[in-house]
Amino acid sequence: MILRAVFRWGLVLAVLIVTVLFCLAVGEVWINPFGANGQDAVILWELRWPRLLIAFSVGGLLALAGAWFQVLLGNPLAEPYVLGVAGSASVGAVTGLMIYPESAVVMSAGAFAGAWLGISIVMAFSHLGSGRMLLAGVVLAAFWSALLALLLALLPKSGLGLAFSWMMGDLSHSDLPIPLLLLSWIAALGCGLLLSRSLDALLLGERHAGALGIEVRQQRNRLLLLASAVTAIAVTAAGTIGFVGLVVPHLMRLMFGSLHRAVLPASAIGGGILLMLADSVARTIVAPSELPVGVLTAMLGVPLFLFLLLRRG
Amino acid sequence: MSGEILASNLHLQRGNRELLGGLSFSVQAGEITVILGPNGAGKSSLLLALAGLIPAAGKLLLNGTSLAAYKRGELARQIAWQGELPPTEFGLTVRQRLELSAGEAADAIESAAETMDIVPLLQRPLGELSSGELQRVELAAVMLREVPVWLLDEPTAHLDLRHQAHCLKMMKNQAAAGRAIVTVLHDLQQAAAVADFIILIDGKGHAERGSADRMLTIDRLSNLFDMPLIGQGKLLIPDYGPDYGDGV
Repeated sequence: MILRAVFRWGLVLAVLIVTVLFCLAVGEVWINPFGANGQDAVILWELRWPRLLIAFSVGGLLALAGAWFQVLLGNPLAEPYVLGVAGSASVGAVTGLMIYPESAVVMSAGAFAGAWLGISIVMAFSHLGSGRMLLAGVVLAAFWSALLALLLALLPKSGLGLAFSWMMGDLSHSDLPIPLLLLSWIAALGCGLLLSRSLDALLLGERHAGALGIEVRQQRNRLLLLASAVTAIAVTAAGTIGFVGLVVPHLMRLMFGSLHRAVLPASAIGGGILLMLADSVARTIVAPSELPVGVLTAMLGVPLFLFLLLRRG
Repeated sequence: MSGEILASNLHLQRGNRELLGGLSFSVQAGEITVILGPNGAGKSSLLLALAGLIPAAGKLLLNGTSLAAYKRGELARQIAWQGELPPTEFGLTVRQRLELSAGEAADAIESAAETMDIVPLLQRPLGELSSGELQRVELAAVMLREVPVWLLDEPTAHLDLRHQAHCLKMMKNQAAAGRAIVTVLHDLQQAAAVADFIILIDGKGHAERGSADRMLTIDRLSNLFDMPLIGQGKLLIPDYGPDYGDGV
């Protein structure tokens, strides 16, 4: 048992290292991560490393948010994008941007308020069961997307590029500093691990969790707050990127089982790996221009979503 | 092991409908109390209220202290609840599900699994089990809770005959070991086999509690379920009559 766990964690770490090296190397020009000089070194240290760290932390945060939303809704299909929470966070962030254009703090606060509002509306459907809650989220996602398009059209520096970067994700620049993103990744994982026993019990449903001694309402509120904050940070940094929160926790449960003391750290790393890879492909495949990274995560996520939906049926 | 429940003037509502209007009873360590009544009468709701999982009006004491004064963690050290089958979508294995109930008593998982005849299922995901197997997992999960009070909602549901008998025997053994058990059952023979006390709930606000001998009578039960019964002593069965099945 221990040997198997060591092997699995070793595999995850090996994939992480290989991914980091690969993503540093690929791009419009190939660079040797161990021996870059001159202009290559500038590209490596000033462009690729920062972008890699943004992708790693945003991917990890989205995967953690996905794992939490799935437990909160009792539905493995839930994640910030599908539920419309990423969309409502984007609307909040852009509203913040319109009110106070130069402040990342106002934008982040707007994103958090938007995420909170989005998930609160979805949770208002909880008495109808997790399937309808998810359906409400999907419809709301379309609404938030439309509202976002409207707000972007009203922005003074509106344009197709800006709209793309909010609606399909963009890691080429972040409005949040990288150390803050990495700290958020660590803090989110730490908080998640502190709540892991409650998360495990909630897998059995709220009544079973309550009977096992979990203060269900309190823990749910904490999780909602945490998942909203994490979604808001990811959205402020990179716009709306879908399906990382669906694909990664699902794969990690297959690999590590369902208990969150393993699923959360594995998802935090796995989300980082997935987004680093997706971003590398997005900025390479049509170089010198770039695809929005959300295009690639949707290519992966939508088939998995449909597969899971079929299996549930 | 001490698990004394005292309910006084207990009221339960579902929406605007009063399910229980002023039931008083006590449950002592070593006793089995069976709740009987028609569908929708509030049997499961009563168990949930006793577990502190839904609110109820009136006085409800556990070992002399109001149930509402207990924190959830403290209550979980006193009461175990078995109810609806858990969701199976997240891929929990049987062992992982049992670990969640066992807490620090993880060493006891093997013996509980053996008692409930689920050792070969331990590594399987819950989603691959039948309802009957899942029910046995839930009963094993209750067995892992070293608590004085067990609340069991239809513990024999989904089980085949052999495992039904097994479950009833396990309940008798646990009560003999000093546990207080309150359980909802539908089968009158099963109720007669294990009950020290019976609570009858009609779902119209009326409920009464008494010894099994006093409560398990043709008159009371025919009245409760609104259908004829036949039999004597503890062997009471529905009287389906010669026209049973016609027009149904």
